[in-house]
Amino acid sequence: MLGRLYPRAANVGLRNTLLVSRRQIGTMRDDRYVLFLLALVVSLGVVSVLGARHHTASEAEQRARYQALVERQWAEQPDRHPHRVIHYGFLVFREEAPLAFFDPGVGPYAGTSLFLEGHRQNAASFGDARHATGMLRFGRLTPATVLGLLLPLLVVAAGFASVSGERERGTLRLLLAQGATPGQIMGGKVLGIGALALAAALPIGLVTATFAAVGGEGQTSVTRLLALAAGYVAYLTGWVLLTVWVSSRRASSRAALVQLVAIWVALCVAAPRLGASLAATLHPIPSRAQFTAQVEEAQRGVGDSHNPDDPFFSALRDEYLARYEVDSVEELPINWGGVVSREGEEVTSRINEEQRQELLAAHRRQDGVLAWFGLLSPYLAARDLSMAAAGTGTEAVEAFRAQAEAHRYDIIQRLNDLHVHEIRYENDRAQRIARQEWTRFPVFQPNSPSLRRALTDRPQSLTALGLWIVVPLAGLGLGRRQLPRVGVDGSGS
Amino acid sequence: MAWIRLIRLELARLIRSGGVAAAALLLLGLGVYAGWQGNRRVQAAEAAASAAETAYQDQLAYLSSTYPPTTEAGEPLYYLAFPAPQPPSRLSALASGRTAVETASLRIRLLALEGQLYEHETLNPRLAAAGHLDLAFVLIALLPLFVIAVTYDIVSGERERGTWRMARLFARPRRLIAAKTAARVILAAGLVTSLALIGAFSTRIDADGRAGWAVALVALHTLFWFALCLGVAGGRRSSTANAMILVSVWVTLTFLAPAVLSLTNALLHPVPEALELTVRQRQGYHEAWDLPKAATMEGFFEDYPQWSDQTVPEDEFTWAWYYAMNHRGDQAARDASRAYRDVLTQRDEWARRWSLLVPPLATQIALDRLSSADLHTQLAYQEAVRGYHERLKQHFQPFLFSAAPFTQVDWDRVPTFEPAVPAGDAPQAGLPAAAALILISIGVLLPRIRSRPSPDS
Repeated sequence: MLGRLYPRAANVGLRNTLLVSRRQIGTMRDDRYVLFLLALVVSLGVVSVLGARHHTASEAEQRARYQALVERQWAEQPDRHPHRVIHYGFLVFREEAPLAFFDPGVGPYAGTSLFLEGHRQNAASFGDARHATGMLRFGRLTPATVLGLLLPLLVVAAGFASVSGERERGTLRLLLAQGATPGQIMGGKVLGIGALALAAALPIGLVTATFAAVGGEGQTSVTRLLALAAGYVAYLTGWVLLTVWVSSRRASSRAALVQLVAIWVALCVAAPRLGASLAATLHPIPSRAQFTAQVEEAQRGVGDSHNPDDPFFSALRDEYLARYEVDSVEELPINWGGVVSREGEEVTSRINEEQRQELLAAHRRQDGVLAWFGLLSPYLAARDLSMAAAGTGTEAVEAFRAQAEAHRYDIIQRLNDLHVHEIRYENDRAQRIARQEWTRFPVFQPNSPSLRRALTDRPQSLTALGLWIVVPLAGLGLGRRQLPRVGVDGSGS
Repeated sequence: MAWIRLIRLELARLIRSGGVAAAALLLLGLGVYAGWQGNRRVQAAEAAASAAETAYQDQLAYLSSTYPPTTEAGEPLYYLAFPAPQPPSRLSALASGRTAVETASLRIRLLALEGQLYEHETLNPRLAAAGHLDLAFVLIALLPLFVIAVTYDIVSGERERGTWRMARLFARPRRLIAAKTAARVILAAGLVTSLALIGAFSTRIDADGRAGWAVALVALHTLFWFALCLGVAGGRRSSTANAMILVSVWVTLTFLAPAVLSLTNALLHPVPEALELTVRQRQGYHEAWDLPKAATMEGFFEDYPQWSDQTVPEDEFTWAWYYAMNHRGDQAARDASRAYRDVLTQRDEWARRWSLLVPPLATQIALDRLSSADLHTQLAYQEAVRGYHERLKQHFQPFLFSAAPFTQVDWDRVPTFEPAVPAGDAPQAGLPAAAALILISIGVLLPRIRSRPSPDS
């Protein structure tokens, strides 16, 4: 291995690196703890894919079934007065993204069923987390957790002694004496441990891809799967680099292990929770009770469309009487009751939406704190990108809400238009719209936000993941000259 | 005396070690923060409870001022939302359990109830997904890591440094290990005590049976980790092997087992009834609208026979009929709603039973129950809201059937919400977990007690 004597140094460098990596793989293969952990991570990963897939599939099936039922009930309504139908309303159930079984993201914490009716913006009900017991406090078993939380521990277990162990056994000096440069040694270690991480991640990735393919989502899923793979490869690469870096800086393997586990706890366990808690503290949000009180307060400013003597609506009446040049609402060619309902809906919807946007802006400020916290916790950043790629991030829930609200407004105003034009003012409540009309209403077809937008909306997380690779890489590079001296002059103990 | 001197020496050595002191301070810092934050959370919940009350008063004043006095009571009652605030338990500041995802200050209208019970809080799902920090998490998940950090090399460290032989000159191995362990237990006990005191003072918790049980459970849980660490680290393995085994066990007990059990629970007890009851309530209510009014009233009289001598006109809108129709919605959803609650109760019971096998989970679930922050409490709250809704309905039915104007209502005599009382007494919540913790602790120590420690080879 006297590499420096050979003329084709590049080849030799590569060969030395590969030799070291093979050596590292051999060490890990003889380590029964590492093998046990590898088996544990792989089997948990596969079990989590199967379990989570089963769970999300049965949830999706339920939602689809009830959505179809609600649509049928809508279409099969008897002849009804349109204002009746405004109160009958419509139910929509949020569909999870096809890759929700891989990373459920924020889905379980957002409601799944939403009742759309006139005059009000309801909040969604029945999130998965509300049906869970206190066990969920510690996290859920999903492929994303296995890759993001457990695989780094496997990397640590396999690699904490990668350099320090050689040093303790005295073989590090031997390797150096034989002509391997510090860079080649550390490169080889990174390759060896990386191979193990890949061996653990690959089966999980393949099972995920298989199930995603069975889901039959085609092109979009392929790009999303690739984005997920890229994200987790970057994240795990960071862990491999960090592990070798710490191991190379410590005289004893024990110190390296303790330090790496402490880093894992800080980054993966403590930081996300601390970040969420700080975000909630810095940007408090009103409770539901306070929020609805605010909405009511704001609504009182314009009055109530059920109360036709309200100042807002009497001004409206004067305007209509002037426009149609008549003296009373009874003489209007259109139905005044319907007009009141339509204009009232416009105003209340606007106020509701303003209040809602204010609340959502507070949520976004909280998300912002969490996104910056991702720079401290690559786990947080990696999971953020993972949600984005799986299509289960905040933007997916918000897109559903916004589209459901648009759908609500559309349906309600169509009904109000029917009221204005198809129902006569006289003896208003006794009239009906023929049932055929109900089938002419648009069907709710939500679109999920694009992958590109989801990713470009997360600059902090992308930066964090980049730094997560660059920082330990720089550490390895800058520290490589000190490699032979660690532990000799008392440093790194 | 030699025994006490040994412990004192060991304690001094531990405290002087930079890493141990730093970790202890970090835990204390996190604990102080979590206690402060928990207190804020409880204050926010109290503010929400009083906001529900204030909003009701405001709304009542607004409705009274805008409606002409002859308006039938049924009309303002359509809008009026009655407050049903559940005051938070002070202990939930330290063990917040599921409070983050639950609603505790609903406002209930006289309309069909089932559609009003399950709306989400204004919670930001992104933060909820990131996890939750409270003092219970610091004590149950993070403190064990401190225990592991100070005990994993309790024997192997001496051996690897070559100090074991010398130490043996002063005491027998078993005694030495006992003294070293005692010093660490004292250190951890100091941490737990300070954290508990900080928590108690920052949130003004009553020193009642519940708080006592909570402290006892945390202490037992910490002792379990000492037992486990001794069980593993008392053997002949190297320090690194001990550390890896203990960290793996920690991950398994604190993350994997709860996650696996949680997933199993969800798969064993699916809740299709949630959507079922939503669909049924809406349909039941609106179908009633298309029925002849007498038929609708017929269904209403099944539950309220005291009104069965009343009739409502077929060709005219009456509020008595309108609210009867709302009742039909709840009637239609009744079976699905019952099934929904049954499934959730099953989930809760299943979780409590199986959690006993996993010490951190047993402790967490027992704490949730002690601090009234578990699924059971949420169901009890919903039950209390149901009871309140029922009392409101019965209170207002005379006004509706007599078509009385709302000015006849004496608003001071309207029923008020009676909060749900915590389920079971404190021992009932804490005892199974305590027993499980003690048994498991003995179980993990047993191999070490049987074999004599002579790790000087």
